[in-house]
Amino acid sequence: MMTAVNPSPRGTFLLDRGASLPLLLPATLLVLVFLVGPFYYMIYTAMTDLSFANPDQKGAFVGFDNFRKLVREDSIFWGSFWLTIRFVVASVAVEFVLGFGLALLIWRFIERQRLLTTLLLVPMMLAPVAVGLIWRLLLQGDFGMVTYYLRQFGILSQASAVFSSPALVMPTVIAIDVWQWTPFVTLIILAGLMSMPRSPFEAATMDGAGPWRQFVDILLPLLRPIIALVLLLRGIDAFKEFDKVFIMTGGGPGTVSELLSIYAYRVNFKNWNLGYGAAVSFMVYLVVLILCSVFYKAVYWKTAGERA
Amino acid sequence: MGALIATPALAALAMLGLAGQAGAWSLEEAAAPYKGVTIRTIGEALPPLEAMKKLAPEFEKQTGITVEIEMYEHSEAVSKVMLDLNSKRGRYDFIIQPHRELGKFVTNGHVEPVETFMASATLRDPEFKPEEQLYQGLWKEISWYEGKPYGFPFTALTMYEWYRSDLLNDPKEKEGFKAKYGYELGPAQDWKQYRDIAEWFTRPDQGLYGTALQGKRHEALWYEWLNFLYSYGGDMLEVKAGSECGPVVVNSPQAIAATEYYKSLMAFSPPDTLNYFWDDVMALMQQGKVAELIMWNDATYAVAVDENASSVVGKMGFDLVPQGEGGKVAQVEGWTYLVPTSSKNKEAAYLFIQWMMDYDQQLNQHLNGGATARPDVYASAEVQKLPYSQASMGSNEVAKPKPTIPQSSEMTDILVRELSSYLADEKTAKEALDQAAKEISELLGSCAPMKYPVQ
Repeated sequence: MMTAVNPSPRGTFLLDRGASLPLLLPATLLVLVFLVGPFYYMIYTAMTDLSFANPDQKGAFVGFDNFRKLVREDSIFWGSFWLTIRFVVASVAVEFVLGFGLALLIWRFIERQRLLTTLLLVPMMLAPVAVGLIWRLLLQGDFGMVTYYLRQFGILSQASAVFSSPALVMPTVIAIDVWQWTPFVTLIILAGLMSMPRSPFEAATMDGAGPWRQFVDILLPLLRPIIALVLLLRGIDAFKEFDKVFIMTGGGPGTVSELLSIYAYRVNFKNWNLGYGAAVSFMVYLVVLILCSVFYKAVYWKTAGERA
Repeated sequence: MGALIATPALAALAMLGLAGQAGAWSLEEAAAPYKGVTIRTIGEALPPLEAMKKLAPEFEKQTGITVEIEMYEHSEAVSKVMLDLNSKRGRYDFIIQPHRELGKFVTNGHVEPVETFMASATLRDPEFKPEEQLYQGLWKEISWYEGKPYGFPFTALTMYEWYRSDLLNDPKEKEGFKAKYGYELGPAQDWKQYRDIAEWFTRPDQGLYGTALQGKRHEALWYEWLNFLYSYGGDMLEVKAGSECGPVVVNSPQAIAATEYYKSLMAFSPPDTLNYFWDDVMALMQQGKVAELIMWNDATYAVAVDENASSVVGKMGFDLVPQGEGGKVAQVEGWTYLVPTSSKNKEAAYLFIQWMMDYDQQLNQHLNGGATARPDVYASAEVQKLPYSQASMGSNEVAKPKPTIPQSSEMTDILVRELSSYLADEKTAKEALDQAAKEISELLGSCAPMKYPVQ
C-alpha cells in the first residue's frame, strides 16, 4: 500500500530559501536556448522572405504571406500533407494491431519473456538511416536479396522493382516502418500487461466472465492510458518520418513518397527558401499539436468521465 | 560556347601576370608567411578529389602548410558549404563546388574574386597564366560570373556516349543488326540509331540491357535529361550566358519531344530505372550489363581503365552525344575552386589552388580520374592514350552553358520533381514541363516570361 509522501523538513527549508532556483536554472536555460528560443525564431522567420539563395530576399517582414501561399496556392504542400496523414494512419494502425497481438501472445504463452523482449529491441535500436540503407540494398532491383526472393516466389515480376514501381513504394515504406516499430508497441503494451493487478481478473473469473468479456471489460479499460501513450508517441514519430524514406526513395518516384518532412527539407535545405520553409515547418508542428490535443482529450476525457 | 566574358577582364588578368614576372618567384618563399597554417576544403567524394588528396602531401612538404580535405556525397558537399558560408564561420579556407551554385555565392558576397590574389606579386606564380593555359570557354563557364573570375576549374565535366565496343564490333551482332534495321551497327550518331541499338541489345534473359537511365528523383536525372534537351534543340531559358535571366522555354515543342524520347528509352533500361542515379548506372556498366548510355567523363576512368573495379576494361568506346535538331552539343558542369570571403587563410588557400592548377598536378589528377580544363594536359601522350580522351575533348568544344543565377538550384529542384513525376506516370511530358515552366517563371519574376504560355 502506497503512503503519501510529505516534503521533508530539509526540502521545505530549501524551497523556502529559494535554493530551488539555482537547481532549476540549468534545465530551464537548456529548454529556453534549445527549444523555446528556436521555436519563436521559427515563427518569426516564417513571417519573413528570408532566402540564402536569392540576394533580394534578405529577411524582410511579410506578415502571413508565406502561410497564405502555403494554404491557398501550394498544391505540393497539400499533396505531401495528405500523403503523410495516410502514412501515419496506415503504419500506426498496423503497428498497433500487430504489436498488441504479439504482446498478448508473449504475456499469455511465453515463459522466457526477457530473452524475447531483448530480441524484439533489435530493429528499434537501429538508427533510421541504417534501416533505410539496409532496406534500400535488400530491395535494390538488380541484386537485392528480398527482390530476388520476391521474384522467385512470383510476387514481383522480373520486369519490375519495388522502388521503381510507383504503386508499390508507399506500401513498402509502410511495411518497413511496421517492421521497425511494431516491437516498440509490443514492449510498451507488454509492460502494461505485466504491471496489471490480477485481482480484477480473478474476481471476474469467479463471477463467470469468459476471456472475451474480461478482455473487453477489464483488460482494455485498464490498458487505456498505455494504449493512448503508445498511439500518441507513434503518431508523432510517424508524422515526423524523414530519414528512412529520404534514404530509400528521396521522395520519389515523382511525388509518390514525398512526405511533409521531405518537402520541408527540400524547401529549406535544397532551395534555401528559409522564410517559406519555416512556414512549412510550423504547419507540421501545428498539425502535430492539434492531433495530439484532440487525441489526448478524446482518451483522457473518457477515462476521467468514467472515474467520475 | 558563347563568349561569356568581357575582353577587358582578360586583358587585366594578363597584365597582372606580366607584372608578376618582374622578380624570381618560388612557392617556398611565397608560402613562408603561412608556414604551420592548416587550410581546410570540402568537395565531392569522387576520384578527382581522391587524386588531389594524394597530391597534397607534396604541397605540404614544400610549404609547411597542412591541407585537410573533407569528402562528402554530392548534395551534402553542397549543403554543408551553404551553411558554412551563411553562418560566416569560415570553416573552409577554400571550397570546391558545382558551378551551378556560383551565382548564389557571388550575389550574396560569399566568395572572393581571384583578381584579389592574382594582383599580388608575392602570391601569383608568373608561370601561371590561366588566360592562356585553360580552355577559355570552360573557365568562363565554370568559374566566372558576370564577366569576373572567381576561381579556377577543379573539374571540367561533360557527358558523352559510352558504348560497348566489343558488342558493337561483333560480326554476328553486326550481321543481325543490319538484317533487322537495314544499316551498319556502330556508335549511335543520332537518336534513332541510339534507340535501335538500345532495342537490339535489350536481352533481359541474358542480363543485358540496351541502355540505363538515371531515373531517380535526384539531380542526376536533370543532368542526363539536359543532353537530350540540348540535342533536340531545346533549352531552359533563352539566354546567352549562365548568369543571365531570360524567357522560359523549358516547355517548348523541342523540349517536350526530347522528354518523350527520353522516357521511351525506359523500355530498354533495367527494371529499377526509377531508382538509379550516376553511381548505379556506372556500376551496371562496370558489370557489363549495359550496351550504351550517356554518362559523365569523371566516371569514365573507373569503367574503362580501372581493372580492379571494372569487368569491361578494353571493351569500351566513347563518342559525343548523338545529334538531334540542336546539332552536336554536350552539357558542361564543372566543379570550381573558390575562396570564401569568410576564409581565415585566403592567401594560403590561393597558393594551394594555384599549385593544383600547375601542369604536373593537373596531369596527375587527370590520369587518376580527373577532368582537366588545360588543353596542354589533353595534348600529352599519356592522356591521349586514355580511351575516352577524344570524346572528352570533343565534348569540351561543344559544351553549352547552363544557368548559374542565384535561383538555379530551385530551378533544378522544380525540374527534377516534374521530370520524375513524368517518368512515374503521374503526368504527361507536356503537363510536367508546363508546370515547370510556370513555376520557373514565377520564381525568376519579370525577367523570365513564358515563351510558351500555359493555357
